[in-house]
Amino acid sequence: MVSKQNFVRAADCIWEIPRTFRDDMRVPARLYADEELLDAALADNSVPQLVNTATLPGVIGHAIAMPDIHQGYGFPIGGVVATRLPGGVISPGGVGYDINCGIRLLVSAASVDEVNPYLKDIASSLYANCPSGVGAHGHLHLSNNELDRVLHEGSRWMVENGTASREDLDHTEEFGRIPGADASFVSDRARERGRDQLGTLGAGNHFIEVDKVVEVYDQAVAARLGIFSGNVAVQIHCGSRGLGHQVCENYVSRFQKTVQDYGITLPDRELVCAPFDSKEGQAYFHAMACAANFAFANRQLLTHLIRKSFDQVLVGKIKNYELRQVYDIAHNMAKIEEHQMNDGHSVRVCVHRKGATRAFGPGSPVLPNDLRDLGQPVLIPGSMGTASYVLMGTREAMRQSFGSTCHGAGRVMSRAKAKKTIRGAELREQLHARGILVCTGSMSGLAEEAPHAYKDVSRVVDVVHKLGMGTKLARLEPVAVIKG
Amino acid sequence: MDFEEIEHTADRAFRVQGRDLSELLVNAVRAVHALEGIRSAGETSATRELEVEGIDSESLLVNWLNEILFLEQQHQVRCEKFQIRELNGFHVRARVETRGCPGYQTGIKAVTFHNLKICKTPVGMEAEVVVDV
Repeated sequence: MVSKQNFVRAADCIWEIPRTFRDDMRVPARLYADEELLDAALADNSVPQLVNTATLPGVIGHAIAMPDIHQGYGFPIGGVVATRLPGGVISPGGVGYDINCGIRLLVSAASVDEVNPYLKDIASSLYANCPSGVGAHGHLHLSNNELDRVLHEGSRWMVENGTASREDLDHTEEFGRIPGADASFVSDRARERGRDQLGTLGAGNHFIEVDKVVEVYDQAVAARLGIFSGNVAVQIHCGSRGLGHQVCENYVSRFQKTVQDYGITLPDRELVCAPFDSKEGQAYFHAMACAANFAFANRQLLTHLIRKSFDQVLVGKIKNYELRQVYDIAHNMAKIEEHQMNDGHSVRVCVHRKGATRAFGPGSPVLPNDLRDLGQPVLIPGSMGTASYVLMGTREAMRQSFGSTCHGAGRVMSRAKAKKTIRGAELREQLHARGILVCTGSMSGLAEEAPHAYKDVSRVVDVVHKLGMGTKLARLEPVAVIKG
Repeated sequence: MDFEEIEHTADRAFRVQGRDLSELLVNAVRAVHALEGIRSAGETSATRELEVEGIDSESLLVNWLNEILFLEQQHQVRCEKFQIRELNGFHVRARVETRGCPGYQTGIKAVTFHNLKICKTPVGMEAEVVVDV
């Protein structure tokens, strides 16, 4: 058990569990939260999970958790762990089953007032064009060669077939393609699961949401990104579908033996890992990169289908409704990055972000030219029916958290309990009454995602904003939600 | 009931019992079906042979459930009747009868090893399993 007494308040909204808390901790654990969010974190098993991540071989700095932390499996959701290279490990469980689950934000120059008369048709068109739900199949059935290209090239493959623009790629983390992908490390079973799932949303907490930009905190920066108050925005939340799930499953299973071979002792078998530079660690990294590229391509194809849906409804009716990509970010990923430690020296690390977002600040060389002086846009979706935020990455995030920040609101209530508190149809009516259209194939799934099952996203965002680990740029509110 | 859902904030979890490992494996599939909210199975049926192995009982349980999930989700069937034909150490061979399945309410991505331990009880075996949804 971990209680509040085990934490040391290092600074306002920074809580630490010292390395001496447990013999197997290699570094201290750090949680960014206000008092209320700390209490929420202590209500489930997420803090012991955070402590467990502090035991991974090669971990440096702190095992970190964001204010949206909640219980996961192995890592807590909202966890960030960096391992020093060479020597440190990579953990498939530290990335999770939905490899490169992430968020994409599109914006339009049209206002919600202009689009409003057609909103119902847009929602219907989105629901019809974007396959969703458990095991949904897409419009494509990729040949082996095409699938290899998706796995190796990610969104870049989509430029050739006209479903992506150069600007889309520039405004995607890693430009839509993670280096290191090698499809020979992806199992036949993973390929089979992914072959017809490109351009599908899936189920669970995945969604497409049409939003209104309701508040802009920095007009000049927002204008550079095409974000204006009152205008339409669209968020896409999904990942690598069955292909990613299978990659993770394959390597978590395989690494059960690998940890024994390397003499690695862990407090939880879901944390299994391998030295990054070992043949096993490299095999996972190559396969994970493939799944990540599949996820980038998946969100790109969905972007194409969303643009097509807007065209179907709005062409000839209003002007300048076209959707421009603000950014696309991953929140389940292991990345190789260089970071400067507090003593000033630079280290090469494998950063695991499990339900956490990269938030690189101004000047980062990995950002495209048009964003380099601004920093990286960070997209923080709220729970269904509540606000979402656009933040900008900061230099402070580089210093505090290996260039990472929160990824969402974070759950506080189990899915089973959420379903007991409200029926899906009732929730849909409540949202309709607030002017939010909902299209879903599963009322049960809708109830699981009830807004009251999540923390207050504004409170979560306020913590990272206050700590300088992301600067608030804009607030969005939903007008239509598509759920699997 | 040989299984019950237990609290998990983000995903789903269940506790399952069996008189022995063989029964635990079968009951765990039923628990997964209950979480998935699988509707009534279709008419068509087929018989399939499954062969799964692990390095210990826990990995056998996880690999077995993931094998069932793959079969069901990829072929849109539900595994209904199980005949464990051989359980030798951490290797199982089973015959399952499948029926067409029209849809799920909840999609399970995978079965995890999180804090998984199969414990002996006075009447057999018990495990708590977390699944990613």
